[in-house]
Amino acid sequence: MTEIKHKAFLFDATRCIDCRACMVACSVENKIDMDKTRIWVAGVGVKGVFPELQRASMVYHCMHCNEPDCLSACPVGAYSKRPDGPVIYDPKKCIGCRYCMNACPFGVPHFDWDKGLVEGAFIDKCTMCPQRIDIGLEPACVATCPTDALMFGERDDLLKYAHDRLTAQPARYINHVYGENENGGTSYFILSHVPFEELGLPPLTSTPVKEVSEKVMEVTIPFALGWGAVLTGVAAGVHVYNQKKEADAKKVETSEPQTEEKK
Amino acid sequence: MTINFTRRDFLKVGGAAAGALALGHFIPPRVAEAARLSGILDATDSGYIPSMCEMCVWRCGLLAKVEQGRVVKLEGNPDHPHSRGNLCPRGQSGLMNTYDPDRVLNPLIRVGKRGEGLFRKASWEEALDLVAQNMLDIKQKYGAEAMVFSSTHNLSQPLFENLLYAFGSPNYGTQRSLCFNAMIVSNLMTYGMEEPARIYDDNLSYILLTGRNLFEAISTSETHDLSAAIDRGAKVVYLDPRFTKTAAKASEWLPIKPGMDLAFHLALLNVIVNERLYNIPFVSLNTIGFDKLQVELQPYTPAWAAPLTGIAAETITRIAREFAAAAPHALAHNGWRTSNFINSFHTQRAISILNALVGNWGVTLTGGGSEESSTLGAPPQPPYPRISAMRLDGVPWKYPVVPLKIGVFQELRDNIVKGDPYQAHGWFIARQNPAMSISDRARTLEAFGKMDFIVTMDIILNDTSWFSDVVLPEASYLERYDPLVPIGDQVFIRQPVIEPQGEAKSALWIYRQLGQRLGLGDFFQYIDEEDYLRQELAPLGVSLEEVKAKGYAQLSETPHASETSEPSWSTPSGKIELYSDTLAKVGFPGVPTWEEPPQPAEGQFYLLTGKVAQQTQFGTQNNLLLHKYSDEPRLWMNANKAASLGLADGDWVEVTSDIGKVNIRLLATQAIREDCVYLTPGYGHLSKGLTTAFGIGASDSALHVTYTDPISGGQALSQTFVTVKKA
Repeated sequence: MTEIKHKAFLFDATRCIDCRACMVACSVENKIDMDKTRIWVAGVGVKGVFPELQRASMVYHCMHCNEPDCLSACPVGAYSKRPDGPVIYDPKKCIGCRYCMNACPFGVPHFDWDKGLVEGAFIDKCTMCPQRIDIGLEPACVATCPTDALMFGERDDLLKYAHDRLTAQPARYINHVYGENENGGTSYFILSHVPFEELGLPPLTSTPVKEVSEKVMEVTIPFALGWGAVLTGVAAGVHVYNQKKEADAKKVETSEPQTEEKK
Repeated sequence: MTINFTRRDFLKVGGAAAGALALGHFIPPRVAEAARLSGILDATDSGYIPSMCEMCVWRCGLLAKVEQGRVVKLEGNPDHPHSRGNLCPRGQSGLMNTYDPDRVLNPLIRVGKRGEGLFRKASWEEALDLVAQNMLDIKQKYGAEAMVFSSTHNLSQPLFENLLYAFGSPNYGTQRSLCFNAMIVSNLMTYGMEEPARIYDDNLSYILLTGRNLFEAISTSETHDLSAAIDRGAKVVYLDPRFTKTAAKASEWLPIKPGMDLAFHLALLNVIVNERLYNIPFVSLNTIGFDKLQVELQPYTPAWAAPLTGIAAETITRIAREFAAAAPHALAHNGWRTSNFINSFHTQRAISILNALVGNWGVTLTGGGSEESSTLGAPPQPPYPRISAMRLDGVPWKYPVVPLKIGVFQELRDNIVKGDPYQAHGWFIARQNPAMSISDRARTLEAFGKMDFIVTMDIILNDTSWFSDVVLPEASYLERYDPLVPIGDQVFIRQPVIEPQGEAKSALWIYRQLGQRLGLGDFFQYIDEEDYLRQELAPLGVSLEEVKAKGYAQLSETPHASETSEPSWSTPSGKIELYSDTLAKVGFPGVPTWEEPPQPAEGQFYLLTGKVAQQTQFGTQNNLLLHKYSDEPRLWMNANKAASLGLADGDWVEVTSDIGKVNIRLLATQAIREDCVYLTPGYGHLSKGLTTAFGIGASDSALHVTYTDPISGGQALSQTFVTVKKA
């Protein structure tokens, strides 16, 4: 895979204490309504039987994929991938079709039912805080994390750091950097002591869903066109048939009174 | 605080104060304008102003992002030793305390019956005159001691103390007996200091936490230190009947039986002493009373402790050996909220002594940590009047080793109800909520009923304000100055980052105004808040403007005593006291000794409480952001136990103690012992003025029975037993 030069997050599940400072920081920084959130904590809960217990938590927000499915699914180009990492959403372009929600393998974009209809802002998701990173600050969630469970930096540096940790402390982690290759690579890396599925992360191949969907689309369009032609033919036939039927019916309608009149 | 002034200074300041008084009130400085002039804010009144958090008592430095006179975001100040650039969820949500739609922004005077919550708005003049008149009436009729004053651990405390001691009352209520009396008194008896500072350096390799849930009861820098130590590979042994978020990160979690921490620690000491694992040179040079300790410890073998604690004897022996082997890079943490059982003082003594025996001093523990500084100045003031009345809380006549500044709050409340040794008639309560904090809420409401007059100071209509006659609206921590805080060789500032909203005023202003109305103006010799801070800074030669811009000032380098000379401790012997003659003289055991705590009967549970990371005590449940990100408060019960009782997760249950009953939803979980239930404290508010918090959860203080540790005066919060049935 070619080297990608841009920013990324690293999340270490062994250090997250589920305190939710990141969630509050994000909500305040991005002026999120009180009944909404751009970050959620997944994989929470105690597993096992007393006293053999385990607990994990994961700070979940947009993975900022290298090849974002939301972007490729969007019919109006409301999404873009900035060269420095963030996947950005433009509410002005959005038409509220919600294809991105279905396309994202991580279930990240969510629909804003209240705002959408009134203000035309249908979708909400993490932006990587461009207003902060553009002036050299860390995203709000990272900046406040009291246990360094969240880190932010150059993607290459973080990836090296993550692999160094796996090498240095093999007993501590599952030997995998989630997000390095998943879905074609993301800008959010996860280190964990519990299986990634338990953190709510889907098992994905390195082929982005986008490529799969694009392959499907290659077939889909000719297929759709062909099928469309067939349907158009059928529709035309039905139309002709119906018109004929209507015309016959009219004949009957008009002829009957005539007949009566004749009577 | 040093009181050091000449008659000339006195006259000068007195004159200036009189001049300000003539204006009737302070002229509030326009916060944004001042900040703009000093270059902190830009031309659009936007930028970052350094100040200090008040969402708990850890006091993290913060940077408030201000846009056109409104605070829009809080960041941890990277220059502050308590935040190091981070804020916890409470710190992050602090601006919603300031912008709480339920803020009280005018003085209120009660018009309905107490507890009806009917008030009318009043001017400051009217409210302060009314408060002063009532206080003076009570003093005249019953003596100054009939006025009770309570407030806890906030930065304006020195001025609060001025008000109460100048008024002449001995009755000073803090909330510390509901929290850390056992820890503080034990450290005073052992080391001659309230709380030695803990050092988490790179070599720290073994940490023993006795219920110190640092990953939920967050102290930002220490929480970070513990996380970093674990990351470096330090071993953490954690004792708690619950599988908390700290337990989840510990190397070893020991679900100890409640109340038996003392047995565990006595057994650790037994192994360390009998196997001669202690630091022999350190003990012989720096401690007294080892022989007496050794004799006392003999029965407390690991085999003796095992059935009490539920922890295997081999485990206890192994941990004792590991801890001693890791020393001096080992730390036994005292914990903070150590008010658990009537034997909690001995538990704390055993922990303090464990650190002393293995010779951790100077490596993982050290002196300091005091927030008082002799280098700061203070306004001149006359000496306090002589107070001869007994204190209602039993200090020192019933609790001889409890410091006066700490007290026994639940005893104060009980003696108000009893009118013994005399009847109290008035209660001045600043930024405190005894209706929710003291065990046995019904009894606290009864104490309110004994009062002719109650006045509270807060930013919202808390549960105690709800029962008050006058409510004085304080400016929030983002709207006001407080006295400076020395930490190490720096001094930090809390300053307003926005204008106070409505008519809210700082405690410094309120105390001074009241002081003047009570004829005690000499105890409040400052023109305004900034003048107070300037007088504090005077000896340092640092300008207030510099501190306001940077958030702190550097004190002159004064090397710590420990670096320059042999270690010494402010105990009567000057050494670490394994045996305390002070304790023995007043009839308490001089060395830690086994006291068996009561245990629940068949069908009963220990009622445990303990913090969550998103709330501070009973003061933050109304914060909309914290409310948003908090879990629903439920009663935890072991899932197997719940199943055996026919209870399912999510069921509404009725929880009954000897004194109260609450209804709450059940959380069936594996994360707790079968003989315990756990309730998130601080919920179940009474005040309908808290529109976010009202109606959420259940109150632990409605269930807690009052039991007091006879030595430290700590309320035994885990000694209440309850039954649980389907509601």
